[in-house]
Amino acid sequence: MTVLGYMANGLVFSSIIVLGSIGLSLVYSIADFANFAHGDTMTIGAYTALVTFGAVGGLGGAVLGLPFGFFVALVVGIGVAAVVAVATEKLIYEPLDIDSIGLLITSIGIAFIYRALIQIGFGSDFTRFDVQQLRPIESLVPYGVRVTLHDVAIVASAVVLVVGLHVLLQYTDLGRKMRAMADNPDLARVSGIRTKRVKLWTWVIGAGLAGAGGVFLGLFNQLSPRMGFNLLLVIFAAVILGGIGSVYGAMAGGFLIGMITQLTPFFSNVVEALPIGPGWLATLLENLITIEYANAIAFVIMVVVLLVRPNGIAGEGAT
Amino acid sequence: MSDGMTDDTTGAADGPHGGTDPVLSLSGVDSGYGEVQVLDDCSVRLDPGEIVCLVGPNGAGKSTVLKTAFGMLTPWTGTVAYHGRDIGGMAPEEIVREGIGYVPQTDNVFGSLTIDENLRMGGVARDGGLEEVIETLYDRFPIIERKRSAKAKTLSGGQRQVLAFARALVMEPDVLLIDEPSAGLAPNTADDVFEDVKAVNDMDTAILMVEQNVTKGLGISDRGYVLDQGTVRFEGTPEELLNDEEVSQLYLGG
Repeated sequence: MTVLGYMANGLVFSSIIVLGSIGLSLVYSIADFANFAHGDTMTIGAYTALVTFGAVGGLGGAVLGLPFGFFVALVVGIGVAAVVAVATEKLIYEPLDIDSIGLLITSIGIAFIYRALIQIGFGSDFTRFDVQQLRPIESLVPYGVRVTLHDVAIVASAVVLVVGLHVLLQYTDLGRKMRAMADNPDLARVSGIRTKRVKLWTWVIGAGLAGAGGVFLGLFNQLSPRMGFNLLLVIFAAVILGGIGSVYGAMAGGFLIGMITQLTPFFSNVVEALPIGPGWLATLLENLITIEYANAIAFVIMVVVLLVRPNGIAGEGAT
Repeated sequence: MSDGMTDDTTGAADGPHGGTDPVLSLSGVDSGYGEVQVLDDCSVRLDPGEIVCLVGPNGAGKSTVLKTAFGMLTPWTGTVAYHGRDIGGMAPEEIVREGIGYVPQTDNVFGSLTIDENLRMGGVARDGGLEEVIETLYDRFPIIERKRSAKAKTLSGGQRQVLAFARALVMEPDVLLIDEPSAGLAPNTADDVFEDVKAVNDMDTAILMVEQNVTKGLGISDRGYVLDQGTVRFEGTPEELLNDEEVSQLYLGG
C-alpha cells in the first residue's frame, strides 16, 4: 500500500473516532462527567443496528453499496443509544447526585452492565452486518488506495453529522446554551438557562453520535461486545489530545489519533528504509513501530503533544 | 444612634419605611455552605427603586446574603420574600424568571461566547422582544456595542463588568443583586462602574450591592447595612453609617 492508501484508511478510521470523541467531550464539558460507558454506548448503537437491519431487511434500493434498510438501522441505532444514555442519566447518574469522580467510577460499572447485557443477548463471538462485502473502488486501486464504497459512506456520514453538530452549536439556541454551560455552568444558571434540560440534550447528542460511530465501527471491522470498550482508550486519547472539554479539539484530536494509528505500517516502512545509525536501534524501532503497537504509538504522540501544549490542541478548554 | 439602628433591623420584612412594601426582603435568615453556617438571623430589606449597599469585614456574609436571596443557597431558617411571596430555596434559573437579576463578582461573563451571545444568554428566559432590549442596552452601553461580535474574553476588566450588568439587564429585572462591582478594577474604571450602577438604578431597577470600597459604595446608595459575623449590626443612611463613630472604628477601618 502507498502512503495515500494508509491515509485513506486513516480517514475512515478517524471518522469513527471523531464520532466517539465528540460525544465524550460534550458530556465531559457540559455534564462535568468523564463517561467510561461511552465506548459501550457505541456498542449498543452497533448491536441495535444489527437487530434492526435483520428485522427490516434491505428495503429495495441502495446508496454507496449500503441498502436503504441499513440507513434505517443506523437511525434506530443512534436513537436507541441516545435513549439508553438518557435513561441511565435519569435513573442512575442524576439520582445518585455525586461528584464527578463518583460519576466516573459509576460509569465504569454501567459500562460492564451494558456489555454484559449485550453478551447475554448475542454471545461474545464476532459478528457482521449482513451486507455484501464490496471490492475496493477500481479507479483508486492504481494509487494504492483500497477503499470500498462502504468506507466512502462512513466518511460522508461522519462529515454530515459533524457539520450538523457545528451548525447546531454555533447557530441554534440550544447550541449557544450548550456552549454557555461548557464555559461557565454557574453563570448559565444565573442567566436562567434550565441546565438539566440542556444536559439531557447533551446526552442525546453525545450518545447519538457514539451510536453512529458504533454502527460504522461494526461496518468497518466487525461487531463484538468489547468493540466499543476496546476503542474507549483511543477515544480518550483523542479527547485529551484535542484539549479536554473542547468539542472542536476533540474533532481535531480524533482525526489525528485515527490517522496516526492507521499510518503506523507506513511509519514502520519508513523506519526500515532509513539508514539508522547503530543496528540495535534500527532493530528496536523496527520491532516497536508495528501495527501491534499502533495504539501505543498514538499515545506516545499524545504525550509528546501534551508536553508542548499541556492543555491540548484547542487550548484552554472552552468550546 | 447606633442602638436605635440595630433594633430597627429586626422588623425588616414589615415595611417600616413610610409604608412602602419592600420589593425584596430577607427576614431572620440562617444560611451557609454545607455544614458551615454563615448567616445568623440576618434581615435585610430592599425597597422599590433603592440602592442598598452591604458593607462589613471579610467573611461577614455579605455575598452569602446575595446568594441566599438568589437561590444559590437555601435558607436554613427564615424567609426570602420577593414582592411578599416566599422564594426561599427556589432555583436561580427560576428566580431569574421572577424578575431578579444577579451579577457575580468573578467569572461573570461567558468568555468564549461573543458579546452578542452573552446578551442572548441573558435573555433565554424572555418571552419575546429580545432583539429590541439588546439594542436598547447597546444604546446605553456603547462601549460593548462596538465589540458585539468579539469574544467576551477579549474585553478589559471594566468592559467585562459592563457586559455582566447588561447580561443581567436583558431580563429587565425589578431587582439587581451585584457582588462587588469594583473588585479588581483600577480606581478610574471603578468610578465608571459606579456610574453605571446608578444608570441601571435610573432604569427603575432596585439594587442590592456588596462593596468593599465602603465610601464609594455607600456614596451612591440610599441606605446601607453593616454586616458582621452573619448578622446586621447597623443599618442607616450612608451619612449615618459613615459618621457613626462605632461603625467606622469597628468596621470601616477607622
